[in-house]
Amino acid sequence: MSDPRKNGQTVEPTVFELSHPGRSGYRLPALDVPPADLAEVLGASNLRSTPPELPELSEPEVVRHFTRLAEMNFHVDRAMYPLGSCTMKYNPRINEEMAGLPGFTGVHPETTAAECQGAISLIYNLGRMLAEISGMDHVSIQPPAGASGELAGMLMVRAYQADQGNPRSKVIVPDTAHGTNPASLTLAGYEAVEIPSGPDGRIDVQVLAAAVDEETAAFMITNPNTLGVFESRIADIAEIVHGVGGLLYLDGANLNASLGVVRPGDAGFDVMHFNLHKTFATPHGGGGPGSGPVGVKSLLADYLPCPVARRDERKALGFEYDFDYDRPKSIGKVHAVYGNFLVAVKAYAYILTLGPQGLRRVAENAVLNANYLQKKLEPFFELPFPGLCQHEFVLSASRQKEQGVRALDVAKRLLDYGLHSPTVYFPLVVKEALMIEPTETESRASLDRFVDVMKAIAEESASSPELVTGAPTGTPVSRLDESLAAKELDVAWGKT
Amino acid sequence: MPYVPNTDRDREEMLREIGVGSVEELFAAVPKGLRESVELDVPGPLSEAELVRHMKRLASMNRTTDDVVSFLGGGVYDHTVPAVVRYVMGMPQFYTAYTPYQAEASQGTLQSIYEFQSLICRLTGLGVANASMYDGASAAAEACLMALAITRRNKILVAGTAGPSLRAVVATYLEASDIEIVELPETCGVTDVSAVDAHLEGAAVLLVQHPNFFGLLEPVDELSVKCADAGVLLVASVDPLSLAVLKPPSDYGAAIAVGEGQSLGSPVGYGGPLLGFMAADKKYLRRMPGRIIGATTDTMGRRGFVMTLQTREQHIRRAKATSNICTNEGLVALGAAVHLSLLGKNGFRELALQVTSKAHYAALALSAVAGVDLRFEGPFFREFVIDLSVPARRVKEELGRVGIWPGISCGCYYDGMENSLLVSVTERHTREDIDSLASGLEAVISPGGSS
Repeated sequence: MSDPRKNGQTVEPTVFELSHPGRSGYRLPALDVPPADLAEVLGASNLRSTPPELPELSEPEVVRHFTRLAEMNFHVDRAMYPLGSCTMKYNPRINEEMAGLPGFTGVHPETTAAECQGAISLIYNLGRMLAEISGMDHVSIQPPAGASGELAGMLMVRAYQADQGNPRSKVIVPDTAHGTNPASLTLAGYEAVEIPSGPDGRIDVQVLAAAVDEETAAFMITNPNTLGVFESRIADIAEIVHGVGGLLYLDGANLNASLGVVRPGDAGFDVMHFNLHKTFATPHGGGGPGSGPVGVKSLLADYLPCPVARRDERKALGFEYDFDYDRPKSIGKVHAVYGNFLVAVKAYAYILTLGPQGLRRVAENAVLNANYLQKKLEPFFELPFPGLCQHEFVLSASRQKEQGVRALDVAKRLLDYGLHSPTVYFPLVVKEALMIEPTETESRASLDRFVDVMKAIAEESASSPELVTGAPTGTPVSRLDESLAAKELDVAWGKT
Repeated sequence: MPYVPNTDRDREEMLREIGVGSVEELFAAVPKGLRESVELDVPGPLSEAELVRHMKRLASMNRTTDDVVSFLGGGVYDHTVPAVVRYVMGMPQFYTAYTPYQAEASQGTLQSIYEFQSLICRLTGLGVANASMYDGASAAAEACLMALAITRRNKILVAGTAGPSLRAVVATYLEASDIEIVELPETCGVTDVSAVDAHLEGAAVLLVQHPNFFGLLEPVDELSVKCADAGVLLVASVDPLSLAVLKPPSDYGAAIAVGEGQSLGSPVGYGGPLLGFMAADKKYLRRMPGRIIGATTDTMGRRGFVMTLQTREQHIRRAKATSNICTNEGLVALGAAVHLSLLGKNGFRELALQVTSKAHYAALALSAVAGVDLRFEGPFFREFVIDLSVPARRVKEELGRVGIWPGISCGCYYDGMENSLLVSVTERHTREDIDSLASGLEAVISPGGSS
């Protein structure tokens, strides 16, 4: 038992190490019916011989443990969190409060439509608002995350193409695509065909034109793309794709740059997903829950995930809103119920708070902040794709690499200065990539602070690179050994 | 605009620094025709006070489990959520953080999810668990994909007694493949073991929900033997609360256990967010979808946690990833870890005992009513099906008027069950609640049967 992970120094013990036999942190009501004889009612052979070894702690111990863990987390309430393509904007408190209203948290999904008009109207109207913002005709909030929205979208593409006579076999993605894109289209039964970006970081329309054919079911892109540039030739792109009978899919991860400025539906997109946890300010929760509504033009409406929220203003059934389950061409269900409803509540509240002008102001300031940062950082880091950007941009630590400092080291050093790092090593087309998205909720002072720190790190990389490669030192733990974690796996306490 | 700090003056100065004359110029790459037409027709802006008024009005248009005596379940259960669970999930250090890409600054998220994985392993008896999936249904679908990849076969067997939404999601995930889905028939409310043999050959997986949609315990031991003999992987979709008393999936040879974790500290929330979990035999770890947190050490030899085996995942492997999942249900998994830690070994078992006791008390009380019969005889855990002498829909309507929701109409999901109700009980139901359902049923159904 010499594994330092079990017996060495710890910053915070696991909840299992804190356990003390006989303690409990919660009291149930007294049982007011006769206690069941478990062996009799469940069958002795169905029972477990010993109860699961859950920890035993009192309430204050549980609260302290998780509070100490919480204190070890960087989070967006503390400082700038410039992860590119992640849109780490401020999460408005009022939205959390609204999603916590008992009239939302206490609704059971089997409640009859007449008894939960508020919930269904919210789902319906959020769908309408997202459709208006994006220029799509219909939106389903059922997909619980972006990748689930991608799967739903791609399955709709497949169903549509099949109805045209051939589901087709290929979906094209640019080399700057998020990893979920090829993974999702593969799950939808397609082969991913990757095309290289042009020298300006945009889609090379000649390359695209040569890549499409009668087997192209769709072209799946992010716009602005992951380099932070808008696909200016989107009309040509749409024409090429539509010309062979393909559909144009938008990964809406970067929709923040477009709010109130340009609508994907006007630009030729047929199907897209939204990330409510990016664009619409719902929190990321340390990895989820998110929400990935999928939007379509009318030609795909029949295929939307089932059920579809609908409105009958004449109230023929005695109420206005219900769900339509009679959708014979639907791709089916991608979530057990209606999707991440309580996340949808937050996005709905966000849109109402902003209104049309506020939404546009979000995009404008997201783009302004990104361009300001790009301009200020350009002297210190290589900018592989110069020119104005949209909501994010990509730097390269290639100069620093010559000094022995990698993008990863820059990321870790930022933590020492109390800031979060950008996304690193993505997109794959840029070596030593640092992908930076400040969002509109950062102040100029906050951007300036980031610039000062990045400048300091660039200087350190030249003068004393060991400071950077040895980072972080100011975090609860120092640089962690990822290869040990993968080589000698320990993924559950007490099991090896 | 309360969430945007830049003032007009800031904007002007920043534009000057950038070297452009206007914000409009920043969007020069967007074709002009696309830019000029946009004038969004969405409501707002609302002040906080106006927003609250509107949202409260919407919320008041929903009847909740606090307003009525509800016996709705079927996969989403109305348990008491301890204040501590809400409190921890409401800590901004947890909920405003991103996926823990920078491990050194994300130890809170990483360690709590490692603890979640460990807790799921202890419930299921299996060696490894991942950091969460969207819901129990997608977890079941992912388990089938995983089993298909492991066995390289192209058929799956799904118990017809598994929840209808679970089966629907599994079908969606496999829609684009050539995989054959065989739905196994039931007898007496559980999978008909004698009908399994005919389908085993060439099957990758047998997916069974235990307890099943009707609340009944499945013949998992017999299914397990049949699977083992045919090289079919057994995937059990389990109710985590049941594992406080029922034997763990590892005991009956399940290769993968999945389930819906909503009952571990989440409100019913109109069905979302939910919490999918997945555990597996350790030998399948590298085939698992989603994030996995592992322990390691830092440069000083201190223990720390990182996302591990990331080469399975979409951001590295892209088209060849084990799954397309990226965002999961991290915060809900944290809530589940807090919930299990708080109730602990004894509290969790006591909760399961209470739920079982109340469900069985309810079954006795309801079946004593003339015109009400238990539909199935087999053992059940937290819910059960009753057959009524009149259509379930009518009973629901009439009881609804007196504030009692007696359960889910099985006829919505299964042919020939128009007179059946799935009645679900949690620790929140008092004896009085259950007795009021019994007397309510009596009043609606008898005398004479059809009024």
